[in-house]
Amino acid sequence: MSIRLDQLAKSFDSLRVVKTTSLEVEDSELFVLLGASGSGKSTILRLIAGLSAPDSGRIWLHGRDVTDLQPQERGIGFVFQNYSIFRHMSVAENIEFPLKIRKVSRSKREERREQLLDLVGLGGLGNRYAHQLSGGQQQRVALARALVHEPSVLLLDEPFGALDVKIRGQLRRNLKEIQRQLRVTAILVTHDQEEAFELADRVGLMERGELLEVGEPEALYAHPRTLFGATFLGAGTVLVGRAKNGAAKLGSLSLPIPPEVEHEEDARVRVLVRPEQVALSAGAAGAAGDEPPEGNLLGHGTIVEQSFLGALRRVRVRLPAIPGTRQASPAVYGEESLLMDAVIPAGEDPGGFEVWVSLKGWHILAPPRPRLLACDFPGEGSPAPFSLLRGFEGSLNARVSLLSVTDKVDRVAALRASQTERAASHGLPDAEPVVRKGDPVDEIAAEQVQSLYDFLVLSMPEKGQGEILPGVLSALSTPLLAVQGEPDSFSRILICTAVGEPGKADVRVGGWLARRLGAEVTLLHVLVDGGGPAPWVKAHLDAGLATLRGLEVTSRTVLRPARAAVQGILDEAKEGGHDLIVLGRHAASRSGGRVRRHDFSFEILAGSGKSVLIVPPGQ
Amino acid sequence: MPPAPSTSRSRLEGGLLAAAGLALLLYALWPWLPLPGRAARPRTVVFYGFSILGEALNDDVLPEFARRWRQTTGEPVEFITSFAGSGTVTNQIALGVPAQLALLSLELDAERLAAAGVIAPGSWRRLPHGGVVNRTPFVLVVRRGNPKNIHDFSDLARPGVRVVHPDPMTSGGANWALLAEYGAAARRHPGREKEAGFEALRGVWRHVVAQAASARAARTQFENGFGDVLVTYEQDVLGDAAKGKLPGEIVYPPSTVLSEHTLVVIDKKIPAPDRPLIRALVQFLWSEPAQRLFVRRGFRSVDERLNADNPAFGRIQDPFRVANFGGWDRVKKEIVDGIWKDRVMKEIGK
Amino acid sequence: MIGRRHGAGLPVGMLVLVLLPLILMPIAAVFVFAFGGGPGEFLKALRTEDAQFALRFSLLIAFLTAAINAVLGTWAAYVLAKHRFRGERPLAIAINLPVAIPTVVVGTSLLLLWGPIGLFGKLLEPLGLQPMFTPAGVLLAHLFVTFPYMLGSVKPLLDELEVTYEEASYTLGAGRWQTFRYVILPALKGGLFSGTLLTFAHSLGEFGATVMVSGNLRLRTQTAPLYIFAQFEAGKVAQANAVAAVLAALSFVIFFFLLRYSGKERL
Repeated sequence: MSIRLDQLAKSFDSLRVVKTTSLEVEDSELFVLLGASGSGKSTILRLIAGLSAPDSGRIWLHGRDVTDLQPQERGIGFVFQNYSIFRHMSVAENIEFPLKIRKVSRSKREERREQLLDLVGLGGLGNRYAHQLSGGQQQRVALARALVHEPSVLLLDEPFGALDVKIRGQLRRNLKEIQRQLRVTAILVTHDQEEAFELADRVGLMERGELLEVGEPEALYAHPRTLFGATFLGAGTVLVGRAKNGAAKLGSLSLPIPPEVEHEEDARVRVLVRPEQVALSAGAAGAAGDEPPEGNLLGHGTIVEQSFLGALRRVRVRLPAIPGTRQASPAVYGEESLLMDAVIPAGEDPGGFEVWVSLKGWHILAPPRPRLLACDFPGEGSPAPFSLLRGFEGSLNARVSLLSVTDKVDRVAALRASQTERAASHGLPDAEPVVRKGDPVDEIAAEQVQSLYDFLVLSMPEKGQGEILPGVLSALSTPLLAVQGEPDSFSRILICTAVGEPGKADVRVGGWLARRLGAEVTLLHVLVDGGGPAPWVKAHLDAGLATLRGLEVTSRTVLRPARAAVQGILDEAKEGGHDLIVLGRHAASRSGGRVRRHDFSFEILAGSGKSVLIVPPGQ
Repeated sequence: MPPAPSTSRSRLEGGLLAAAGLALLLYALWPWLPLPGRAARPRTVVFYGFSILGEALNDDVLPEFARRWRQTTGEPVEFITSFAGSGTVTNQIALGVPAQLALLSLELDAERLAAAGVIAPGSWRRLPHGGVVNRTPFVLVVRRGNPKNIHDFSDLARPGVRVVHPDPMTSGGANWALLAEYGAAARRHPGREKEAGFEALRGVWRHVVAQAASARAARTQFENGFGDVLVTYEQDVLGDAAKGKLPGEIVYPPSTVLSEHTLVVIDKKIPAPDRPLIRALVQFLWSEPAQRLFVRRGFRSVDERLNADNPAFGRIQDPFRVANFGGWDRVKKEIVDGIWKDRVMKEIGK
Repeated sequence: MIGRRHGAGLPVGMLVLVLLPLILMPIAAVFVFAFGGGPGEFLKALRTEDAQFALRFSLLIAFLTAAINAVLGTWAAYVLAKHRFRGERPLAIAINLPVAIPTVVVGTSLLLLWGPIGLFGKLLEPLGLQPMFTPAGVLLAHLFVTFPYMLGSVKPLLDELEVTYEEASYTLGAGRWQTFRYVILPALKGGLFSGTLLTFAHSLGEFGATVMVSGNLRLRTQTAPLYIFAQFEAGKVAQANAVAAVLAALSFVIFFFLLRYSGKERL
């Protein structure tokens, strides 16, 4: 293993530039980190080079832990985007610089310099200065200089970024050749997907500080796991349909879901179709003699745009809305129709403006991993519920972020380091520490908005309601799991429809959790007025039950008369032995933005002593 | 595109520059280089003086003393001197310049040094002649041929006469000049001295067109063409007048003051080993050879007999001294401050 | 470019007419007066012990000032350019202040700090240390007065120098000192050169602060400008002009090199 990054993380103030990232790069491999600007890819390169220090994690180069070494001690070569050729030195002096530093004899230096000048194709230009060279030549000098001391690892930061498109191709091929020839392990950073595919043995795709996917270019292109991967790595359309009987339904079209892709019945499924997987055949819908073609027919549409790409022609087709199907990418605004891109040989004619669209191939994306934000405030009697988080990491395949907040700026770095250790010691080595400075309530709210989470987890202190809960509830945008006791999972879930509309967010979120945890669900409605249930109550309960059955969750409904809703819920939870109570929450229970102390949720929490999942509307 | 920085031409220039710099450095360092055959640094005496003493001390008196000292002790002695207006010198010494001896143009400055704690009060009075080393009368210098027909201080009050005068705030000589102008009038009008003196000062100062920081600077201004008449020490202009180099002629007023120049010894700046040297120097200043040197340079000796040596000294009908007006303490209070500063300057708004 | 060819005569003539008495003629006058008595008189005026000392002393102080401030100024510029910290701007302004303060005020303030009656001087006096009215005092004043010139010449170059140059050097195996020696310093060469010359020239001509702190002692602390002033005041215009002419000539040479190189070394 040439390069090994172990749980590397780096933040600037509260901005997490590199979230906990691990990566291994093989000997002689050319690994490309691909991502938009600001995705953290260059930061990873700088961490490896030692130009900036990680907050946590280790860096290994050829089996040597270099995390605490200075850049000059790491034995690397680095090519900067601006090349950074020393202007007061000639090309020869630039290339000899690393050797001079290493006190290599003059004759050896000259010999080696000539070798490298030849290698990069700049023989005879040794006496020139940077300002006498073209951009491409400067880039080659930078490459030669970075390689002359035979580094074990070569790092390249957007080496072609400042060059004309025309010479880029040539230089890429040169680089690849040289890397092959010297068998040097290399990491190259770029935002150019084409460049990544052309150069890489493997590509790592980065987004917002996260290494989303790693794989060989072909595999990543054909089988991306994430929506970002699907859209960033080339053209294509992502359609969203529903899973029915092991297949993705796009209108009348059923595409079998491969067994390795986890899915739930009736859940949304995302299907990626690359332009080259779209087949077009001419024909007007309904016209005699224009029969739809056989196999995987998506629909009938009209050509809205054609562009000539040289050997190929890109054709954009608009299809009328297909029931139960919408388009996730490219984003379509304000209309329900779909836009599909296809490529055909430039010489071919689609044969009219009306075409049948069918799929020659497709890829079904894996459902995203759920993300949990767990608040860890041990100082306030509210440490993260580690046992539950460990359970969730396994059963939900969840990614856990541990949030801690400090009001002292100078504590941020120390806290981040200790948080990593703390998570590891509680069996969550992959948890990502999130440290923010400021007021806990405000920072919880801000963190929910800035990064999207599926659950917010907050353990209740043993005494009282917790000082921060009211504030958190008033700005809740994510389902909040208020944990009491030390559960590691939930087996009996009580979904209360006593207040508000049942069968919506609370049932769906509760049901989803139950399915993942293998828990049973009781759907409760408390009859407060005495007498039988109103007809709408029954209808809602039936709808809820249908939703739950659709999720394949064992469930039943209970109608319970009680003097007050809270009392009914508490009684049912106690008698039924439930370990999680799910409450819907909607606008009516807020008052002027701040949550009242006698809020429904507090009474349930205090009265039951059990964990409560509070689901905000619109989930 | 500019040429690479290593062309042979710019290399040549760089080399030339470096060589020139090195040569300058060598030149600057030369006297301090530890070359063989160089004598050890001699003992030094730091001597401050008011402006007109420069040549007499630097060129005659001090080298003569150094020669004698070397003859008797075999030791070389070097003088470091600084000359400026008496007031400036006094201020510098009060601020702490390393002066060991100072020859001031008026006793008042010695008293200021005593007040600043630099010397013991009245210490100079224990020296020969009460500390007075030599004297010189205040005279007028007019343009050649005396076109404005000036013969006395009172003539300066005539309309159209432009006077160059040193500044009494910084120059000791200027204070003497004030006393001369005042005293000449006062002695002519016994009984109403103060009023006569005031009117005389007012008349002169109405016509002052340039005030220089020292007597020497005033003379330089006059020589550069400023004004019709200069009030200054006889000594200062005597030498050049004799050589015909003075761009003007000396006019001796019938009555004028003889300024007296006071020596102070700043004991605390004198290291113990140098005390005999300083003592010898002080004694030498009043010795006949030194006094004769001063006379040759145009100063009037405290020993009247020696003044016959210099035939250039003009005759003054009625010379007077500061003692005639009660000493510098009173003159300062009553005349310089009381009349000149508070009345004359206020009235003419300068 | 029509105006350049046809209408140039009048404005250029006006400019020369204004500049002539303002700048050109006074400079010419120095040389005219210096050589008024013939080259023999000129050399004789220069050969006096006092004139020689004053010239040598001025040159020594200028060399020392330039050398010390080259190091100090580069270091200050490096710290200011590379580190971001609170109070950075006020500090940068404070460091450049000597340019704006009248040099006489600088001299006075030094005197009030280090002089025998000054804040520190009072404490030093009993120890026998007395920097004012000595060559050390003159050096101190010159360091103070000329400090901003070095900083002003070097800092813009450092600001321009992209941080990746330094980083590239590290990744190529150079340590901090090697990086400074081989990468940063050569990039600053032009600024160091012009800054050193500027400092040298200003030190050579410094008057205001020197006259305050030197005590104007002949053969001990009298610099060339002080000598010129003292001689002029004493009416020895020829002596004054001889040294003045030498100073002016030196300044011309320095100015020539400044012009010659300041534009060039930047590339």
